[in-house]
Amino acid sequence: MSVAWQQSTHGVLRRQEKVNRTLMTTFVVITVLVAALGLLYLGLVAASAHLSSDIWHMHSEMAEIQRESSRLETEIARLSSIPVLQARSVALGYQAAESIEYVDSIEAGAP
Amino acid sequence: MMRGPEARLRLVTALLIAALLPVIGQLVRLQILDRDRYQAEVDELVMRPYALSLPPDGTIRDRNGDLLVGNIPIYSVGAQIDLITDTQIAAAVLAPLLDLDEATLLEKFVIRENEEDLRWVWHRLAHGIRGDNAEAIKKLKESWDWLTLEPTWQRFYPESELASHTLGFVNADGNGYGIEASQFHLLQPRPAAGMGEVDVLRAPLSEELAKGKLRAFAGTDITLTIDRTIQALVEGELDKALELYGASGGTILVMKPQTGEILASASYPDYNPSLYSTYDVSEQGRFVDPAVSVVYEPGSVFKMFTVAAALDSGSVTQDWSYYDSGLIEYGGVLVRNSDGAGHGQQNLQGVIDHSLNVGVATLTTQHIGADVFADYVLRFGFGRPTNVGLFGEAAGLVHLPWDLNWSDGYLVTNAFGQGIAVTPIQMATAASALANHGTMMKPRLITERRTPEGRVVPIPPKVAGQPVSAETADYVVGLMEHAVETSIVKAQVPGYRIAGKTGTAQIPVSGGYDSVEVITSFIGFGPLPDPQLLILVKLDRPQVDLSVRWGTQTAAPVFNLVASRLFVLLGIPPTEPIDP
Repeated sequence: MSVAWQQSTHGVLRRQEKVNRTLMTTFVVITVLVAALGLLYLGLVAASAHLSSDIWHMHSEMAEIQRESSRLETEIARLSSIPVLQARSVALGYQAAESIEYVDSIEAGAP
Repeated sequence: MMRGPEARLRLVTALLIAALLPVIGQLVRLQILDRDRYQAEVDELVMRPYALSLPPDGTIRDRNGDLLVGNIPIYSVGAQIDLITDTQIAAAVLAPLLDLDEATLLEKFVIRENEEDLRWVWHRLAHGIRGDNAEAIKKLKESWDWLTLEPTWQRFYPESELASHTLGFVNADGNGYGIEASQFHLLQPRPAAGMGEVDVLRAPLSEELAKGKLRAFAGTDITLTIDRTIQALVEGELDKALELYGASGGTILVMKPQTGEILASASYPDYNPSLYSTYDVSEQGRFVDPAVSVVYEPGSVFKMFTVAAALDSGSVTQDWSYYDSGLIEYGGVLVRNSDGAGHGQQNLQGVIDHSLNVGVATLTTQHIGADVFADYVLRFGFGRPTNVGLFGEAAGLVHLPWDLNWSDGYLVTNAFGQGIAVTPIQMATAASALANHGTMMKPRLITERRTPEGRVVPIPPKVAGQPVSAETADYVVGLMEHAVETSIVKAQVPGYRIAGKTGTAQIPVSGGYDSVEVITSFIGFGPLPDPQLLILVKLDRPQVDLSVRWGTQTAAPVFNLVASRLFVLLGIPPTEPIDP
């Protein structure tokens, strides 16, 4: 490209600049760093999303376990409730005591 | 004026800047001026409500840790109707599990006219599904992804009617009765719900979880002073007594005088709290606890407080006596003894032994005086709630000399428990002051609370007052013990020193008192000298022969049955030798 042509098209003479190695190195390092940070950020976000999903599922599992625990607790309470125990006793042939006489265990010679 | 390349460059630069200005302007408008509007639009697009599963309400247990009120998981079952491939099969399989007939279920599977344009259609199929049916539906959901199960909780009372008045219930609005209502603010869970960015499963995104707001708490657990074994025993004895004496209702309270702990509170009529919504409107009077919310005129049981007031105020001394002519007139009111007879010269022991109306009326009208007597009535806690911690506690009704409607006649009738309205819990609390050497403990039903974080908050006993001195209390207890030994023999428990007082109260009706119906009662405690149990027995309108329609004949024997079994059950040894 001739000097005359450059002058006629751009109006100025383009300078022939030398490649600045330091500048290029800095640019590359910054680019790599930005890319690495970007990757790190993406990785963290992905891990965080994964963890939050895990936490959510654990919340759900915990709630399910709590429901099951409550169900079993109430079932045990129902089976050991006084009306059920009384009905069971009657079914087994026990009868309510009509007249109770309490014995003094010490006078009766118990150890 | 510049010409040539320099000018052209400047022109291009200016044009570029001019072209950039609208862009910058738009940015300012979007990001600053109209920010709120666009933020709202974005929120509407991506923000959704989310919630953690609702934790259960707090449980209620008896003093030994036995469950009295728990929670069972129940499910609301729904379906995304537009995704069902074969409604016939779905209805056939689901109907028995949902306790519906197939035709009803098929109707729920129909997409209505107004739903045809919707992107998806969801219908609720059934509510309150629990147990094995819920488990079966959960399994079906694995293959039928159009099924939805929404878990929630239902209160469960494993002991059915046991302690129903004490436990109570609350409806969907949080209104109700008993501990459930009075402690509703503590028993109810704290849900975790919010609005934020959610994923397709409506699970909150990590940022929402990271905010740390997602913490749901179950309700606070409550431990009562009630002992379910004692409660069951007392309820059983009350049922037998009601049947034996044909009473329309009744109450038995068991209390520890030293701490104010209520071990049992049984009243009839009662109800099943699980089924509260099934009771007819006319039956809802059953929900009111007669032990704390229904007032009655106590009758002669009140004489123990009149005598205590006379002694403690110094109005009379222990050797006081009077001549009993069988009647007394004061303030326009003529009072006779219950047997209609005069008993001659009597002392304080005679007044209690024979339950002499004339004796206590003589004390209030001729010795104590209206102001001092009113002071003692208030000191014993009458006329105000005991704050036992139950919903709807009544204050009772006392007439005081400074009231506008005061009449001198009240000084006579109040002396033997007429013209004054009290609740059973007030009577038991006041009597516990005498049993506890003059110190009145606040009655209490809650022994501790356990927060969802696991912190245990004990509720310690509280002194409610010292209405009379220890000396006065012990002396009156001595009079009451003598009364049991000599007059109220049916209340005696072999091997145990018992103090007590009966009452047979007329029932106020419009224009006076019912001439036939009465409320019989007995308050006793033992074993002396340091009573560990106080028992109040009250029977409403017993339908036995008029000759035995007395507290001595009806309520006192019930006390005997309850006390003799409780002493053994609680391991309280006899204090006296038992005659073979």
